[in-house]
Amino acid sequence: MNLDPSTIARIQFAFTVSFHIIFPTMSIGLASFLAVIEALWLKTKKPVYFEIYKFWLSIFAMGFGIGVVTGIVLSFEFGLGFARFAQMAGPAIGPLIALEVLTSFFLEAGFLGIMLFGFHRVGPKLHFFATCMVAIGTLLSASWILSANSWMQTPAGVAIHDGHLTVVSWRHVLVNPSWLYRLPHMLTAAYLTASFMVAGIGAWYLLKGKHQHFARRTVSLGTAFATVLIAGQVFIGDILYGTMLKHQPSKMQAAEGFWEKQSQSPAPYYWFIVPDQNNQRNRFQVGIPYLGSIWLTHSLDGRVEGLSNTPRDLQPRMGIVFYAFRIMYGMGIVMFSVGVASLWLRFRGKLFSSRWFLWILVFMTPSGIIATLAGWYLAETGRQPWVIFGMLKTVDAISPVPAQALLSTLIAFVCVYAVFITAFLVFAFRIIRRGPEEAPPYAEASGSLKNAFRPYVLDSPGRLVP
Amino acid sequence: MRFSKILAGTIAGLVGVFFFFAIIGVFGLRLAIAGLAVFVLGAVVVCVAFPTQGSE
Repeated sequence: MNLDPSTIARIQFAFTVSFHIIFPTMSIGLASFLAVIEALWLKTKKPVYFEIYKFWLSIFAMGFGIGVVTGIVLSFEFGLGFARFAQMAGPAIGPLIALEVLTSFFLEAGFLGIMLFGFHRVGPKLHFFATCMVAIGTLLSASWILSANSWMQTPAGVAIHDGHLTVVSWRHVLVNPSWLYRLPHMLTAAYLTASFMVAGIGAWYLLKGKHQHFARRTVSLGTAFATVLIAGQVFIGDILYGTMLKHQPSKMQAAEGFWEKQSQSPAPYYWFIVPDQNNQRNRFQVGIPYLGSIWLTHSLDGRVEGLSNTPRDLQPRMGIVFYAFRIMYGMGIVMFSVGVASLWLRFRGKLFSSRWFLWILVFMTPSGIIATLAGWYLAETGRQPWVIFGMLKTVDAISPVPAQALLSTLIAFVCVYAVFITAFLVFAFRIIRRGPEEAPPYAEASGSLKNAFRPYVLDSPGRLVP
Repeated sequence: MRFSKILAGTIAGLVGVFFFFAIIGVFGLRLAIAGLAVFVLGAVVVCVAFPTQGSE
């Protein structure tokens, strides 16, 4: 069987980075949520805030651990699958990744122990300080990584001589044209993810008639945060759309599903297409009339630029870019609707008693993760065929290693990550089933890994294993 | 009673659609910023005025 190394390398990176991004998204959002909750606890001394903190701390800790481990894998994959990319881009993005380790990892490593195990060992103010430092660490981490990735999307501050890249302005590498918009977009996505998770779990308890006090407070906080955040996210997203249209028009052309150089007037907004890349047309399409002109050109009869404006050999695959954007944007619209509905129900005093709305919140629990994944697929597949936009094509960035080596490591990653996700889900569901009242006041060691998976250890972690 | 409920829900929905269109810039950047500010302020006011109904 003839295997293409570039295809395997791309599948491997897509798999590992897709798995990884779920966990930092959760931990960035939950770290800041925990800081807010601990501040509320210190200010009001209400026990419910301590209960919320304890409950979400366990899930945060698991997500944080998996996020760190799976993030390190990505750095190694630069060498394993994309050595030519690392060789060329190293002078620009290498220091950014090193700075991530030096700033955020050191900050998180220094304070995470106090955050997880420090209750009853340090004072409440120092504990709060530790939680804030971990939250700031996650922000810094996102900032460096977004800077590196945004540089790949909109490279700046470098010159190329004889195929070698030299940095001429670190300020422009760091603050490249898309970073200022992509960073708040990603951070808001992380906070939204945490808000919907918190509200969704609270709604589940309300539907089951359990842990009412905890559930009402988390539903109230989660929907309030989500409503404010989604409005900001929609605004930032629109600004980012304009920026990417200017710097990476091919991505946004593919995202809108039009092939013609200029669409018909008025342009519809497509929600479903069957693209035919070879013949540069859609076989089938379903859209809402006028909405494309209104949303994309802000007029009733504006025309939208299609993918034919980009030469064929420089076009991304329309299908995946289009649907990634539709999933992200569609999820944003649903989130906005849920936010408006929550305000309406809160105003009418029915936020906790409308079962239909609580069920929607339960189904929206993973919505932030789905939208974030779709957003990253839009960002990464829309940049193709480039790995560094306009500088280095993906096909030229692959390591000179046999496809079999890449395939065997891909299989290994799939197996190891299957264990990770299974363990995370098993523990998370057990923590949810156990409920907030039974959560221990601080993390405790439970003995061996074999014993840690047994239900009675999770149900009463302080108990000795028989 | 039922009609008034449907009417109120429809009006709330239309207000939401208007804010969404405003925030994504359909009426221009200035109105997008104004729409965002009004929406966020309104949300904060509602959340503060009706913070934890029934939660105590």
